[in-house]
Amino acid sequence: MDPVIRAWCLLALLLPLTAAADPAVLDAQRAQVETLRQEVAGQIQLRAYDLLDELVYEWTQHPIFETDTPLVLADVSVPVGFGSGLEALVENHFVHLAIENRRTHVVLAHCPQCTAMVVHSGAKGTLVSRGADDPEVLAAAGALAASQHALYLDFEIEGSSLVLRARITRLEKALPIIYAKTLSSSTSSAALLRSGDQLKSAGEARAEYLDALQGRSAYVIPFRIGVRSYASREGAYVTSAPFVWLQVGAEAAFSQARAWTGSVSAGVSWSPQTHEGVMVQGRLSRLLSGSVSSLTHPDLYGFLGASLIYVRGSDALAFSDVAPSIDNLASQLKGTPPTATFAAFQFGLELRVKNRLGVGVFLEGAPALDDAQSIGDHLDLGLLKFQALGAEVSVCF
Amino acid sequence: MALFLAFLLVTPLPALVSRADDPAPGIWQTRSDARGLECRTLDQETAHGLYPARVPDLAARRRSDPSSVLVCTRRILGDQERPPRDEAILSDLTRTVEALTQAAALRVPKGITWEVDAFYPSPQVGAKIAVAARTELVEHGHSVSDRVPVLAPGDLSVIHALPAEQAYPLACARYFAEHALTDQEAFLGLMILDPRETQLHAGICTQGQWRWIQ
Repeated sequence: MDPVIRAWCLLALLLPLTAAADPAVLDAQRAQVETLRQEVAGQIQLRAYDLLDELVYEWTQHPIFETDTPLVLADVSVPVGFGSGLEALVENHFVHLAIENRRTHVVLAHCPQCTAMVVHSGAKGTLVSRGADDPEVLAAAGALAASQHALYLDFEIEGSSLVLRARITRLEKALPIIYAKTLSSSTSSAALLRSGDQLKSAGEARAEYLDALQGRSAYVIPFRIGVRSYASREGAYVTSAPFVWLQVGAEAAFSQARAWTGSVSAGVSWSPQTHEGVMVQGRLSRLLSGSVSSLTHPDLYGFLGASLIYVRGSDALAFSDVAPSIDNLASQLKGTPPTATFAAFQFGLELRVKNRLGVGVFLEGAPALDDAQSIGDHLDLGLLKFQALGAEVSVCF
Repeated sequence: MALFLAFLLVTPLPALVSRADDPAPGIWQTRSDARGLECRTLDQETAHGLYPARVPDLAARRRSDPSSVLVCTRRILGDQERPPRDEAILSDLTRTVEALTQAAALRVPKGITWEVDAFYPSPQVGAKIAVAARTELVEHGHSVSDRVPVLAPGDLSVIHALPAEQAYPLACARYFAEHALTDQEAFLGLMILDPRETQLHAGICTQGQWRWIQ
C-alpha cells in the first residue's frame, strides 16, 4: 500500500479514538445521561406515590393492627441505579399518608437505633448489622420500647412496571414477617385522580376516569363561526368580500380515545344586500397531538372536509366564470339575483380545548372556481389550488 | 382530475396515521424504540379496565366473541442504563421468583419457617431477589423469617474456594451443624452459578440436606 494512503487510513482510524477521548465530549455525554436519569426519576417518583397510595388505602380498608400500633420505617430501598434523593421523597410521601390516614392504626415511631449500624460481640463472634436486623441488640439498648414492628418498603423497576414490595417484621429474635404485599404499577391507576388525604381504591379511581371520559360524550353539537376570504384575481372587475358563516351540526367520535371524529353541519351566511348563502359540510378529523385526546391539554386535530355552497346575491358574481355584464345587473334589478353553486374541499388544523372550544384555520379549494373571473388562488400547487383561506371558532355542547 | 389526484394522495393518510401506534419497527418507530417496548396480550375486558380511553368496552362493541388486545408499554429504563445481566434478572423478577418459590414450597412440609437469601455478584440486586422471594412466600401463606443463617468466617473461607455444586451442599450441612438452622426451618437459596448467565437457580436446605430446584 502506498505510504501516503497508509498514513491517511491510520489518521482516519485514529480520529474517532481521539474524539471519543475528548473530555468535553465525555462531559456532555455524562450531562445528557444525568438529564435522562432525572426525567426517569421524576416518572418513577409519581408511580411510587401511586403505589404507596394503594398500599395505605388497603390498610384503611383492612387494617393490619386492631389498635394504634407504633411502627418504625426501617428501610426504603429504591430501584437499582437510583439514589438517596428518591428515597427521601418516597419516605416523606409515606409519612404524609400515614399521618393523614389514622384509620390504618399505624403510628410511625422514631427509632434511630433501628436504622443505625450496630456491632454485637458474643461467644459466636462479632456481628455487624443494622439494629432492626438484630432485635436482641435493640432490646439490650432499650430501643425496643419505641416500637415492636418494622416496615420495609422496596421499589424495583421490572421492565415497564414499577413494583412495590412492602413487609412488616416483628422485632423479636426470630424476626417473623407478619405482613407482606406486592403492588405493581401495571395494574395501578393514574395519579391524577388521587390525593393523599382522600385516598380511593384503584377501581374507584378508574371509574372516575371513565366518568370523566364518558362525560365528554361521543356526540357533540358544534357551533362554528368562520370567515372565508377568497383570493382576488388580477384585473378582476368584481372582488369578493370575506364571507362570514355560521354553522351548526353534529360531531361524533369513533372511539373513547377521540382519535378520529366525523361531523356534518349546515351553515348560513348573510350580508345585507350583498348575499345570502347556505352550505352543507362533512368533515373528517384526526387527532395529531397523540393517540388519545387529553383531559388536561389542548388537542390538535387535522381535518379534511367537503362542502356544497350555494350563494345568492351580487357577491355570487365573483364566482362566475364570465365577466359581469349589464344583463347581470338588469336581472338583479328585476328581482332575479345571481346565484352560484359549487363544491369545495378543505384541509385544515383545529386546536380543541377539552372538547368544548376550538380554533381552526383551513385552506379551501373549489375546482369549479378555477375559471372564475374574479377569484384567484391563495395557494397554487399545480394539481391542487386553494382559493379560500378560512378561520373559525367553534363551541361544542 | 385534480380532485381525483387529491383523493389518491389523501386516501392512504388515515391508514398511515393509524399505524403510528404499531409497535413494530417501521416508518414511525425505529428498531431501538421498538426494543424499548414490553408487549403482552390481554383479553379485551381486562384491557378496557386498564386502558378505558383506548380499548373500547366489550359490551359497546356488541360482539359475542371478545378480541384479544396487544398492549405495549415502554420500558422505564432504556438499553444499557443498567448492566445487561442485572436488567435481565430484574425485568422478570416477579415471574421468576413466583415460579421458584412455588416449586420450593411443594418440596417442604407445611408449617416450616422459611429463611431466604440470594447469592449474586451485585449485593444490591441480591437484596432485591431475596426480598422478592420473602414477600412471595408470605403472600402465599407461608411462615417466613427475615433472618438469614450465618456461618463462621472459617467456614466461609473454605466454602468460597469450592465450586458451586459442592459449596451449597456443604454450607447447608454447616448451617445445621452450627445450629444456624433448626429442623423446623428451611433455607431457600437463589443464585446464579455462572457470572454470564441470566437465569436464577434455586435450592433448598432442609435438615442438613441440599436439594436443587432449578
